[in-house]
Amino acid sequence: MSGLDHVDNYPEIPVSLAATSTVLKTGAWRSVRPVIRIRTAPCSAYCPAGISIPEYFDHLKEEKLDEAHSVFMERNPFPRITGRVCPHLCEQGCNLAVATDEKPLSIRSIERWLGDQTADLPHPYPTEETGKQVAVVGAGPAGMAAAYYLRRSGHKVTVFDRRESAGGILRYGIPEYRLPTAVVENEIEKLEDMGVEFRMRLALGTDLKLEDLEAAYAAVFVATGATGQRSTGIEGESLLEPGLAFLEAANRNLASLPGERCAVIGGGNTAMDVARMLQRMGAKVTVLYRRTLAEMPAIEEEYERALEDGVDFNWLTQPRKVTKLGDKLLVTVEQMRLGTPDESGRRRPEPTGITRELRFDGVFSATGEKADTAPFPDRLRDSHGWLDLDGDGATKDPLVYAGGDLATGPATVIEAVVAGRNAARAIDAELGYADRWPAEPPADTVSPAEVNVTYMPHHDRAEDPPAVTADPFAEETNTLTAADVLGEIDRCLSCGYCNTCGTCFVFCPDGAILWDNGPRIDHEFCKGCGICVNECPGHAMVLVNEREVSHA
Amino acid sequence: MRWVVPEAEHMAEGTLGCQGCGGALSMRLVLKELGQDAVAVLPACCWSIIDGPWPVHALDIPVLHTAFETAAVVATGVKAAKTIQGKDTTVVAWAGDGGTFDIGLQALSGAAERNEDILFICYDNEAYMNTGIQRSSSTPTGTWTTTTPDQRPEARPKKDIMGIIAAHRIPYAATATAAYPEDLEHKVRTAVSIKGGMRFLHLLSVCPPGWKMEADQAIEVMRRAVRSKVFPLYEIRNGREYTITHWPDDLPIEDYFSLQGRFKPLLGNDEMLELVRENVEERWQTLLARHERSHSGAPA
Repeated sequence: MSGLDHVDNYPEIPVSLAATSTVLKTGAWRSVRPVIRIRTAPCSAYCPAGISIPEYFDHLKEEKLDEAHSVFMERNPFPRITGRVCPHLCEQGCNLAVATDEKPLSIRSIERWLGDQTADLPHPYPTEETGKQVAVVGAGPAGMAAAYYLRRSGHKVTVFDRRESAGGILRYGIPEYRLPTAVVENEIEKLEDMGVEFRMRLALGTDLKLEDLEAAYAAVFVATGATGQRSTGIEGESLLEPGLAFLEAANRNLASLPGERCAVIGGGNTAMDVARMLQRMGAKVTVLYRRTLAEMPAIEEEYERALEDGVDFNWLTQPRKVTKLGDKLLVTVEQMRLGTPDESGRRRPEPTGITRELRFDGVFSATGEKADTAPFPDRLRDSHGWLDLDGDGATKDPLVYAGGDLATGPATVIEAVVAGRNAARAIDAELGYADRWPAEPPADTVSPAEVNVTYMPHHDRAEDPPAVTADPFAEETNTLTAADVLGEIDRCLSCGYCNTCGTCFVFCPDGAILWDNGPRIDHEFCKGCGICVNECPGHAMVLVNEREVSHA
Repeated sequence: MRWVVPEAEHMAEGTLGCQGCGGALSMRLVLKELGQDAVAVLPACCWSIIDGPWPVHALDIPVLHTAFETAAVVATGVKAAKTIQGKDTTVVAWAGDGGTFDIGLQALSGAAERNEDILFICYDNEAYMNTGIQRSSSTPTGTWTTTTPDQRPEARPKKDIMGIIAAHRIPYAATATAAYPEDLEHKVRTAVSIKGGMRFLHLLSVCPPGWKMEADQAIEVMRRAVRSKVFPLYEIRNGREYTITHWPDDLPIEDYFSLQGRFKPLLGNDEMLELVRENVEERWQTLLARHERSHSGAPA
């Protein structure tokens, strides 16, 4: 045993020669494999435009405003507008709200911030002109959206409108305190800057003939809205002031109050706008609605703001007769009760025979407007007289498309934008440019049962703060701050979209998720335990049976 | 990345841990904070296998495989040798519950009593798992193992190893679990930074095959252990100052037990379940009182 009295004389002992990864390919143990997969978030699925919300949130989180903006613009060119007036169906779908008692993400407020931040960002001028000319009739949200997408594709676009300025319902229908005219004008200027031509004071049917447009243009998209007054069935109807006409006058600063006590008949968004505008002009307003709050079609938020403004609501109240009594209007109303559901699923109001009389200085009707389809020839209409359209707004005539409120009756701005985009895409395809459009989002939607809410920070939902102003017609809310937006995005589970949160990487027992600014699954070693899929907050990963992979 | 966890990896892929192995994940996360000037001493335990058969191994620090009862004392020896060489290497004894609570206890107690300059980490999966799920003194009341079958589940409460360690008044001891990685990393950083004395980490470490559960629930089950107060997260400094590092949220203990097949006997026995509930609550109240006393400004 000589020499072992000093450590330097010890023989080398066996030591390991290489890492386990050189020989132990543990991926072979696996029967299921995790796969990172882009799936559809419920907010995107609920959004009529299908905006990829988690994707643009992720870009905002990374402070890549331009990328966020371009993701958004693929599906909706007007975040400044819809960020203010959209009924935000997206928020109804938010998995965070369904899976926990947290409030949904404030998606619309973030959209508004994105819109305001990019207000000065010009639309890209098309890189090549196709030489094709397309006519758009109606400069409201549907026509503006169609013009944007058609122009972006390189077509020459001319927008016609009967009024003196473009914007349609955005300028003349929605009150200033909800959507400032300056915002609408900014969007129109940006369309003009990308080469869209606006031709005003030309009405379809009188100044313009559909057949002339068809002859002169490669395609025509008609979106002239629904502004016609529908009969209310109330005796003495001529004494009523049409609500939408009042809003237009108010937006032109031409409206005057008929007196202090006013009534608004109806329960839709126009009724809310008329009631709130009257209230802001100094009237004391009562809304007469024949059903109850539960059946009222107005956006809940608008109802709540009407309450805040001091508007009074009479439920189950059906006006029957209006008569003049000196300088007042006497409204005979019948008390209603709720019966069985109608075709819309809402409970039908039924008469009780009990009537009472109410006195007002002015009564406004807002019971729904109708579209004027007179400029369309009979061959483009169905047996009921409605326009006969497919899902993209194509009529029987391959050159003519229609959409927006004209096609659907009074609906929301976002639905009009979607109709404009759909028609633009269909026209573009018809003109031979189908390949310019992105694929539709996958049908596979992330369910509330799949998300993992463990890692979400808990703080209050950020909402548009009320504006501090003495002017009742100035915009009533402010846009969020950047800090609020980032804080709010932090709450997003990012359903179906990997936002590189790193949860899968941190929890992999095998180190088989490699990190290079984002996760990459190393299937050579992944044992298929499924932890990453289970822990992924937005379930942007799925487990796939190996059998399916090997047979694919 | 949302997580404050180092990106660099010091554990190779291709380890022999089972699917969803809490021991492998614990090692991977601990190594991220340990630094490369470190040596690991492994007594007989799952990690004797997980590290791979010679001539390969998984860690990018040297590993000494040693006899079951000797983790603390071999680590002590390695540290002494490193000290003689003039090196400030962190020496880690990495033992399972068998090598800590049972077979390794005398060496652990000796090293703790001498306040050796080592970091002893117990990854606790609450039974002898790689030999076939035999009970240990860490196995909690009401558990099925192959030596405590359904008809005669574990009757005794889990040994209070943290109490034993605290009684040695070593500079730093803490509980942690891979389900709370940032808390775990913080405690590893703290343990490494405290030089010159014994540090002890007790890591609850899921074993999906031994706990009879789905591997994909591995993180969730450890999280529930913490949330339900079955395994509170805390630190003990100098054996006296207690700090709770994550506050549980009153998750019912049943929600922890019900994810695991090994607790079937417990969930079927109301009397035993009540006993366990009282035990969990009593231990929590004791911990809470110690935490409050430690943070009241009064002498500990």
